[in-house]
Amino acid sequence: MSIFNRNSKRTIVKIDEFIDNIDLGILVFREGIKSYIKGDMEAFSTHLGKVDQLEAIADRLQREIENEMITYSILPQHREDVVKLIEELDEIMDGIKSSMYEFDIEIPQIPSSLGEIMINLNESSANAAEELLPAVRAYFRAPHTVREKLLKVYYFESETDKIAYRIKRKIFHEMHEIDLAHKAHLRYIIHHLEKISDLAQTGADLLSAMAVKLII
Amino acid sequence: MILFFLTSGLFLGWSLGANDASNVFASAVGSKMITFRRAAIIASLFVILGAVIQGAGASGTLGKLGSVNAIGGSFTVALAAAITVYMMTRLSLPVSTTQAIVGAIIGWNLFTGNRTDASTLTKIVTTWISGPVLGAIFAILLYMLIRRIKRKSGIHLIIFESYIKTGLIIVGAFGAYSLGANNIANVMGVFVPAFSLDDLNLGIFSLSSAQQLFLLGGLAIAAGILTYSKKVMETVGTGIISLSSEAALVVVLAQALVLFIFSSSSLSDLLVKAGLPRIPLVPVSSSQVIVGSVIGIGLYKGAGNINFRILGEIATGWISTPVIAGVLSFFSLFFVKNIFNIDIGTKVVETGLAETVSKPWNVSEVMKYVILAVIAAGIITVVYFYLLERKKKSEFRRSEQRFWKYIK
Repeated sequence: MSIFNRNSKRTIVKIDEFIDNIDLGILVFREGIKSYIKGDMEAFSTHLGKVDQLEAIADRLQREIENEMITYSILPQHREDVVKLIEELDEIMDGIKSSMYEFDIEIPQIPSSLGEIMINLNESSANAAEELLPAVRAYFRAPHTVREKLLKVYYFESETDKIAYRIKRKIFHEMHEIDLAHKAHLRYIIHHLEKISDLAQTGADLLSAMAVKLII
Repeated sequence: MILFFLTSGLFLGWSLGANDASNVFASAVGSKMITFRRAAIIASLFVILGAVIQGAGASGTLGKLGSVNAIGGSFTVALAAAITVYMMTRLSLPVSTTQAIVGAIIGWNLFTGNRTDASTLTKIVTTWISGPVLGAIFAILLYMLIRRIKRKSGIHLIIFESYIKTGLIIVGAFGAYSLGANNIANVMGVFVPAFSLDDLNLGIFSLSSAQQLFLLGGLAIAAGILTYSKKVMETVGTGIISLSSEAALVVVLAQALVLFIFSSSSLSDLLVKAGLPRIPLVPVSSSQVIVGSVIGIGLYKGAGNINFRILGEIATGWISTPVIAGVLSFFSLFFVKNIFNIDIGTKVVETGLAETVSKPWNVSEVMKYVILAVIAAGIITVVYFYLLERKKKSEFRRSEQRFWKYIK
């Protein structure tokens, strides 16, 4: 049986490697944004470089997984779904990279009164993405547990929305000391941080439907 | 002239290959687990092996139903069955080769004044019902087992699917073997009593007269699979119900088991030794067993999934197919005998065995060359496709390397 499974095992290793890569990307994102808000630009630059590397590896793995699944006819019935899911996960990685680059290019000024709540927003958004990954792993081994694992993704996504709403409201209703351009810029940056949890939710919706297909 | 008479049997074999044999791999091809090319090659090879090695069992029962003892009669009976199958397929009506040939033989019995053995007929008709029922029972049990194993083991989905894929190939080969063993009787059974060939010695093994006929029939079935079954496989595989990969495996395995049970003389002997009743060795309809298996899975998932229209069509087919084939056979025999003056057989003496009327000397020699040509063509085809696959893969690898080089 080992001869028949050689290609399958290689693909499994690559999928696991891909998920690990996304996991690491989320961690680096969390730490990178935290360093920026705290003003540690050296650490931020190191994290930015790391995200760049991880994104390149994720792209390569994504392509290899797709190629192998087609070439060796792996999971023919669920291939489209799995490929789509991997694309959604890669979108999260792309989102992480683009958010960090926005910080690097635009150098947004985060008022000190918003520091703590911005870190909370970032944590919550990163948590949503992080909670998606155990559910993705469970899809391959225990699909009946996927939906309960996804509950945390939806919880953190909704928390992120609430925090983002609170911050935006504070900026536009209470912080009269900063000008409108600065406010608009902050809103734009918040939107970027928030986007990671939205991408996680899109992935969760797809995964949830995929799990139902497997169970029934 | 002798070979000309065989053409109706070969036509019947071809249509059986195009329709019934497609069922073996239909769920696997329909669910995209196996490519059509691979399925067709495996099915063709194992149908031939099943027909030659184990085809005698079910064919004996058909012989008891009506021992067609003239080559002209065999030709007409097989032709009537083939036309019935063809017509009903064209009209999109459910059809079974088994039921057509049984009806055609009864038509011959009526025309020649031979008695139709009631107990053999009862045995055959009983299996038309028990075949799909057994298929459904096997399918439910196997499906329950496979789902339980999957859930308990926590096996990775990709590994599980790769086992299913390997399983589909092995079980499909077994299914094709069983189909060849069981259904070759439909194609060549009527020619066996009327045909006598010299034993064909090929060095490592020799083929009896009946086995040579079965080999020819097997080749006709294989031709049907290779030339005309692609569309049928894709339609059946996705048409009846959209099957999951494990359900596809269960359906093929259930069908293979049912066909094997009704064609294995050794299994039947084993049951007799154990003091149990003998299994009737009867050709059963693979299509109906498949439908039975799919209905079994539908029942397991909930009665709402069952398509009662298909059940009704099967029940109608049990009556309409043999009746049409019987009537067609009766009138065709009348024309062949009275207009073309061809001997279509006589009343069999009750005490003796059927008289063998044809003894073509040169057919065995022809068979030897046919076998060699088929083996050579098979080897060339396999090598050609292997090299083609290798070429495609190496081209793909090179293009990937180029892609990453440019990206860098």
